[in-house]
Amino acid sequence: MAGKPAIRVAARDEGAPWLTLKMREAMEAWLFISPTLAGFLIFFVGPLVAVVWYSLNEWNLLTQQSTYVGLANYADALTVNPDFWHVVRNSVIFAIGLVPMNMALALALAMALSRRFAGVVFFRTVFFAPVVTSAVAWAIVWKFLLQGEAGFVNQMLAGIGIDGPNWLREPDWAMAAVIVTRVIKMVGLNMILYIAALQAIPRDYEAAARLEGASSWQIFRWIVWPLLGPTTLVIMVVTTIGSFKVFDHIYLMTEGGPENGTLVLAFYIYQQAFEFFETGYASALAMIMFVIVMVLTVVQLFLRRRDT
Amino acid sequence: MKAATTFLAASVLALASSAAWSAELRVTIWTGNEAHLKMLNGFAESFKATHPDVTVKYETIPPADYTQKLTFQLAGGNAPDLGWMMEDAASTFANAGVIDDLAPTLNNAPGYDFADLSAPAMGLWSGGGKVWGVPFSTSPFVIFYNKDMFDKAGLEDPLQLAAKGEWDMAKFQEVAAKLKEANGKFGFEFKDGQGYDSRIMHALMPPIRAYGGDVWANKECGFDKPEAIAAVQQLHDMVFKDKSIVPPGEQGDYFSGGSAMTINQISRASLMAKAGFNWGIAPLPTGPGGESPVIGQAAIVIFTTGKQKELAAEFVAHMTNKENVATMAQFFPPARQSVLASEGFITSNKLIPAEQMKVVADAIAKGKVLPSHEKSPQILAAMKPKIDALWRADANVEESLKAVCTAIQPLL
Repeated sequence: MAGKPAIRVAARDEGAPWLTLKMREAMEAWLFISPTLAGFLIFFVGPLVAVVWYSLNEWNLLTQQSTYVGLANYADALTVNPDFWHVVRNSVIFAIGLVPMNMALALALAMALSRRFAGVVFFRTVFFAPVVTSAVAWAIVWKFLLQGEAGFVNQMLAGIGIDGPNWLREPDWAMAAVIVTRVIKMVGLNMILYIAALQAIPRDYEAAARLEGASSWQIFRWIVWPLLGPTTLVIMVVTTIGSFKVFDHIYLMTEGGPENGTLVLAFYIYQQAFEFFETGYASALAMIMFVIVMVLTVVQLFLRRRDT
Repeated sequence: MKAATTFLAASVLALASSAAWSAELRVTIWTGNEAHLKMLNGFAESFKATHPDVTVKYETIPPADYTQKLTFQLAGGNAPDLGWMMEDAASTFANAGVIDDLAPTLNNAPGYDFADLSAPAMGLWSGGGKVWGVPFSTSPFVIFYNKDMFDKAGLEDPLQLAAKGEWDMAKFQEVAAKLKEANGKFGFEFKDGQGYDSRIMHALMPPIRAYGGDVWANKECGFDKPEAIAAVQQLHDMVFKDKSIVPPGEQGDYFSGGSAMTINQISRASLMAKAGFNWGIAPLPTGPGGESPVIGQAAIVIFTTGKQKELAAEFVAHMTNKENVATMAQFFPPARQSVLASEGFITSNKLIPAEQMKVVADAIAKGKVLPSHEKSPQILAAMKPKIDALWRADANVEESLKAVCTAIQPLL
């Protein structure tokens, strides 16, 4: 008991005796995080709040004229504009096409490349290289490869007697082409995450299961797959969010065409804001996209929690 | 004490005056061509004769992103002092009130001779006594042809056919098919290979006007009129039946020998110096609507939010005076009648023979500027999916063009 006052006195700063140790530590902590906090507030929270405000206004980027319209932009998108639901449908198709393909391919590659063998680093590098390749270069090369009759892909198909479509000029094929080229570009990232998760699974589990007579499929289904659960959830959430936000690929390969067949939400928002200068309406669309992505994420988390 | 005060006042005045006249003008442009930039820098140098402390900085923005990036600069409070502007954006920007009136400066500029600017060329850029921009380029669309491919096919070239009065839309289709057969390359490529994408209007306007139609006029869509349907049907046949026009999704770059003909403007002639084949330019083919040259325009404008508007307007007056317009004429056909009529214009471009430059001068005199509308971006976006549907081998051209009109009529 006798030592307590002495500690309290020592905890006070001689230059600022009114500060307790706790206050001083808190102040130091705030000072340390203040650069990050300032960046977060200025570059993340600020724009987010601004977008909410813009979405309640009819604001033209070119004229800089703004009128408060309440929820009219949201009502227009959800109930009046026929393009909106078409665009949402395209985004959902893109996500449904991309996410399972990306995850399945990433897992297959990871299973093949998580073990040590000669040349494994080379193969990992090959599959990861597209992730760090410039999106512009990637899109230009694929546009060239996917030309009509003269394109490399169709020339290859013609070699085995298949008459390939005009990939980027037919709406359904254009969507498929954009999804597949996107998967090839991004699968390496998920592959690395799966490799890390697979390597974290103790080998003993597999050895024990084999001793019990489990087949490779049973080991995967009942041991490996459940243990990959947290990683799978992260990959699924991140890939789904990424697929709803896809912009560069669409902009560079199809510009939303043909016949608006690849016009997805992020590109549509860009078009409204920066081609038609309807910034208020585009902000409302951005908020709707934010809500869609958030709901999907929460649903995925909920389903995962229920499964476990 | 009095001397000291006078000295101080004089110093302040000198500093103030130096601050007022020492300035940098920023000009957004879309060319990065070395020859173009050299010429533009020459104008900046000669501007120093009257404004010794003013420097001019050109900022190149690629054409595909130009309008958007310019908009970002304006919206972000970082307006350039001057900028180039394409004809399709003119109405949108003028209607939004972001480009400023040049009339007071141009009318008072010594020796400017505003009346020398041709009235049709100024149509899009002036009205009600105000001048929103001065077109530095009033450039007609012409046919660029690969002479070697014509020779190989044993065909008369378009210039020879035009001289005989035989260069019409039917002949155009016929020679394009023969060129394809003889050379194994495409007979024709739309402007810059972008006829199915960003240059839809540039692809469709020349034939539609040759057939006597228009894409829209007096707020009424013209795509579904018989003239436009016939014109587009011909193009469709050439793409999918004759296979003589580079089809959607394929490459057939004229400038590297992938096609025998293309439509473009003479500013592209600078690309021909290293083309590696003999070439020429000829007028657009005529059609049932007679001769109907199409003109693309680009003007120089100043912005209402610019911080040095007066100085910027003075540079516009300098850049578009008679002497400088004559210099620019080698790349950018002028709106000044005196320059257009001069012998100097016919011989201005070292790459293009005088006989062929007469084609350009003639087209400017008879041509009609591409359409512009304050809702151009929305119209093009509404049109695009319907035009995409048109460019399928099994498309019904008439139905597709009616769908275009249904999509754009509310915006007109």
